[in-house]
Amino acid sequence: MEYFRSGLKSVLGAPPPDQQITGAETVERLVSRVSTSTLLEDRRDACRALKALSKKYRVEVGAHSMDVLKQVLELDRSDCEIIGYCLDTLCNITSKEPFEDENESTLPVNINIGEQFTEMFIKNTENVALVLNFLEEYDFRVRWPAVKLLTSLLANKPKEIQDIILVSPMGVSKLMDLLSESREVIRNDALLLLINLTKSNANIQKIVAFENAFDRLFEVITSEGLTEGGIVVEDCLILMLNLLKNNTSNINFFNEGSYVQKIYPMLILPANIEEIGWSPQKVSNMHCVLQLIRTLVNPNNPVHIITACQKSIRNANILEALCNVLMASGVPADILTETINTVAEIIRGNLTNQEYFANVMAPSTPPRPAIVVLLLSMVNEKQPFQLRCAVLYCFECFVYKNEIGQGQIIQTLLPSSLGTADVTTGQLLCGGLFSNDSLSNWFSAVSLSHCLIDNPAQKEQLLRVMIATNLGTQAVSLLQQNVTYLQQSNRLQSKIGILMLLSMWLAQCQQAVQIFLNISGAMAFLTAQTSASEYDNNEELIQGICAFIMGLCVVFNDNSVQNYSKENLSHLIEKRVGIETYCKKLNEISRHEVYAKAAKQPQVLARHSSDLLLEFEFCKLFKSFEGVIINALGVQRDLHNGISELSLSEHENALLLQYKELIRDQDKKLQDLQKAFTNSQREKDMLKNELEELRQGNSQLNDQNTLLKAQLAANSNSIQTLDNVASPLVESISTAVPYISKNANEEEKQKLIQDLQETKEELDRLRKDQEDLLELLTDQDCKMNVLKNRLRELGEEVDDDSENGSNSENEL
Amino acid sequence: MSYAYLFKYIIIGDTGVGKSCLLLQFTDKRFQPVHDLTIGVEFGARMITIDSKQIKLQIWDTAGQEAFRSITRSYYRGAAGALLVYDITRRETFNHLTTWLDDARQHSNSNMVIMLIGNKSDLESRREVKKEEGEAFAREHGLVFMETSAKTAANVEEAFINTAKEIYEKIQEGVFDINNEANGIKIGPQHSPTNPSLPGATGSSGSQGGGCC
Ligand SMILES: Nc1nc2c(ncn2[C@@H]2O[C@H](COP(=O)(O)OP(=O)(O)O)[C@@H](O)[C@H]2O)c(=O)[nH]1
Ligand SMILES: [Mg+2]
Repeated sequence: MEYFRSGLKSVLGAPPPDQQITGAETVERLVSRVSTSTLLEDRRDACRALKALSKKYRVEVGAHSMDVLKQVLELDRSDCEIIGYCLDTLCNITSKEPFEDENESTLPVNINIGEQFTEMFIKNTENVALVLNFLEEYDFRVRWPAVKLLTSLLANKPKEIQDIILVSPMGVSKLMDLLSESREVIRNDALLLLINLTKSNANIQKIVAFENAFDRLFEVITSEGLTEGGIVVEDCLILMLNLLKNNTSNINFFNEGSYVQKIYPMLILPANIEEIGWSPQKVSNMHCVLQLIRTLVNPNNPVHIITACQKSIRNANILEALCNVLMASGVPADILTETINTVAEIIRGNLTNQEYFANVMAPSTPPRPAIVVLLLSMVNEKQPFQLRCAVLYCFECFVYKNEIGQGQIIQTLLPSSLGTADVTTGQLLCGGLFSNDSLSNWFSAVSLSHCLIDNPAQKEQLLRVMIATNLGTQAVSLLQQNVTYLQQSNRLQSKIGILMLLSMWLAQCQQAVQIFLNISGAMAFLTAQTSASEYDNNEELIQGICAFIMGLCVVFNDNSVQNYSKENLSHLIEKRVGIETYCKKLNEISRHEVYAKAAKQPQVLARHSSDLLLEFEFCKLFKSFEGVIINALGVQRDLHNGISELSLSEHENALLLQYKELIRDQDKKLQDLQKAFTNSQREKDMLKNELEELRQGNSQLNDQNTLLKAQLAANSNSIQTLDNVASPLVESISTAVPYISKNANEEEKQKLIQDLQETKEELDRLRKDQEDLLELLTDQDCKMNVLKNRLRELGEEVDDDSENGSNSENEL
Repeated sequence: MSYAYLFKYIIIGDTGVGKSCLLLQFTDKRFQPVHDLTIGVEFGARMITIDSKQIKLQIWDTAGQEAFRSITRSYYRGAAGALLVYDITRRETFNHLTTWLDDARQHSNSNMVIMLIGNKSDLESRREVKKEEGEAFAREHGLVFMETSAKTAANVEEAFINTAKEIYEKIQEGVFDINNEANGIKIGPQHSPTNPSLPGATGSSGSQGGGCC
């Protein structure tokens, strides 16, 4: 407020161009006309003029007219025209965006005027309720600007407006009714308003859904032509997304309410899609539909919700429709990518859906399984990076918790099935593993490692896989080839991919460890990497994973390879690497920023291909075996006398882990407490302010009280004097009356009676005044007491001089 | 999947009386002994049969919102039924019933069926509110009454189903305007809106397989 006044003063005070003076003066004149004019027509004209000035002279209009505008909204609510002007004016002065012809040269650039005026307007929440009520007025001149004003207020103060609307009964339903508006411009603006209103507020999202939002929105979408429709369709979908994102309750409702089926028609491509092509709007709409589906089956949702949604999505033939999109030609790459990601999450961990997907055939010659066609893209350098990432994700989801699927893929690599006519998934992955494209290497390694997750049988099967490296040379085992590749290659991404594959392979598989230890040079390579003291450019990751693999070889060691028995290996680590160094290397992994990124979600997310280093399932594996490895090395304590963590006894180690856990817990508690503390602090500040306000109110009331007392005293005095004057008069009159009548001096008597009358009246008036004042005084006293009590509640000492008031009352 | 009618319910009452547990028992047939705010069962649905008609119940639990009654108020208008729950082992939850009832009556459509529920009937030894008191309160305010236990499942089915029966009867009597969705009632996709009371109208032969719930 103050800000504006001073801002305004500077506008008026500075030696300004004439025009500005006139503008400000005009505004003032108009404001006074609105507030004083008794004729509706005059007020209406003035409001119309204010509206016209409210862009150019926004500060002036805002600073001067806020109160009269509110007054009009309340008192003239039956006149749609004037209300329309008012709402429009408010809309302009609270607009978040500056106007082109706005006169703002004299204002500091950084104050957001719209926000300041919004704050002034919503300070009294009744004002917002008032605007909400205008939504019920059918007249276009009122309803439309009411929607726009709410949008503007919301843009400036989202949190506050959300809270106000949330607690105003029927607030949300009034907005929801607008979705059935026949005047499209209102409906569309209401849609935008709802999109902003539902952002990150679960309670509003729930109410909007309860108010049949999904029915309304699907009605609009259908009437607008589904995904062929315009931006309104996109807006409807965005609103739905808002309602569902991270809102389990609404997702459940959406699924239970059979809305999933209504998505299906939006996924059907017209038969002539290749002729008509994909308009930008169609692409946007389709994106939203895909997001909508993904929101339902997002891996972060509770498992039972995911499973239920995956089932209804399949039953509604949506999986089928999406697979058709995958196989259609002419689909833009980004839509294709997102479709693959969507299919991925629909089948993830759901056996029925995975089986369905396994049987989808691509219309190629010869017909190939869709999964093969997809993998072809993954290991093809010419395909867009994001598309390749999506295929990896889809493949991962296809084998996730799918023992049969994992087995089938590995099966295609075994001698028995080699020599089949067409290319297989396994061949593609093995080919990709050692191709010249390091990204293909990485994708293929990760894909293969996912076929091994929690599947010891396949880890053993994979040991049987032989590959021919060069024409004519003898075939070597896949495991051997991996080691050879590691020794020879200097490509970071490829090496990390293969090391992650080895980790997955060796973990929980003693047979694989045994064969690995027998490969000549394997251990030497790992030892050299782990003990290296220098590295550049993410090589610490390679060294870390090498250390990890060494650890796995200790943990899953059946002591069948004499040189590398559990004990010998531990010894090797201690002597050649050093326990300190070893732990440091291991730590490099989880400390690395790519670890934190990859561990966040199953989907591989990266901007650039070089960002792809660690992967989600590897991070999980690392997390679950890091402690185990350290423990296992700790058992060999007698082998050395270091003072590192590893020199601790098993018991001590367990204790250490316990303490680590404890510290983590306490860390979390500390954070929680800090948060709580900040909240309390804020609350305290609020209470302090309130207290201050109350104090001020109190002192004002005290002043008023004193004033009233003084007036009271003065009145009592004058009453006394009047009484003094009156009684002798009355006396003299009573003695005079007989005399007068005797003398029959009518005139004299008349005059005296009149005098008497007047005196009496004066007396009465004063008495009444006194009574009024007394009443007021009592009133004030009550208020004072309330305030004092409130102050006491807030823990404030209050001096108890209220007796004065009651005393003086008693005296009278 | 197909249903003749869909009814929207809300569950209201003080914190801790067992609203979430009642819903969980009804939809999932299980009991969550620890007060776990994370289960977040805020919405649940189930199909029931009345008069050989499939009726879908959609139930909103006003969990955690007792402190913000004004939020709960937003749900009254669109609900066909409300379960007003108190805890028979905590008298104050019974004492607060009038406030809840006033709120509900003021903000709901006048036909909303309210079922009064005294929950935790399994805790007989800690009972603070007599069954007769619940009955008397219900009689006085024209509510249906029942004591339930979300723990043993006693009367839980009945509570939800009897409420639905009451709503169903009101529909038969033509009290409810079933074409107005704001009343918390929807007619199933295959059912003629014009003669809802036609007995056995076109059954419930769903187009989709795999029934839910
Ligand atoms: N013994 C018993 N405990 C119950 C029953 N219903 C709920 N509870 C317990 O009461 C507590 C509160 O239940 P909850 O459903 O979260 O209450 P809400 O706040 O009304 O949703 C939980 O600890 C439940 O385990 C019941 O019928 N019998
Ligand atoms: Mg609850």
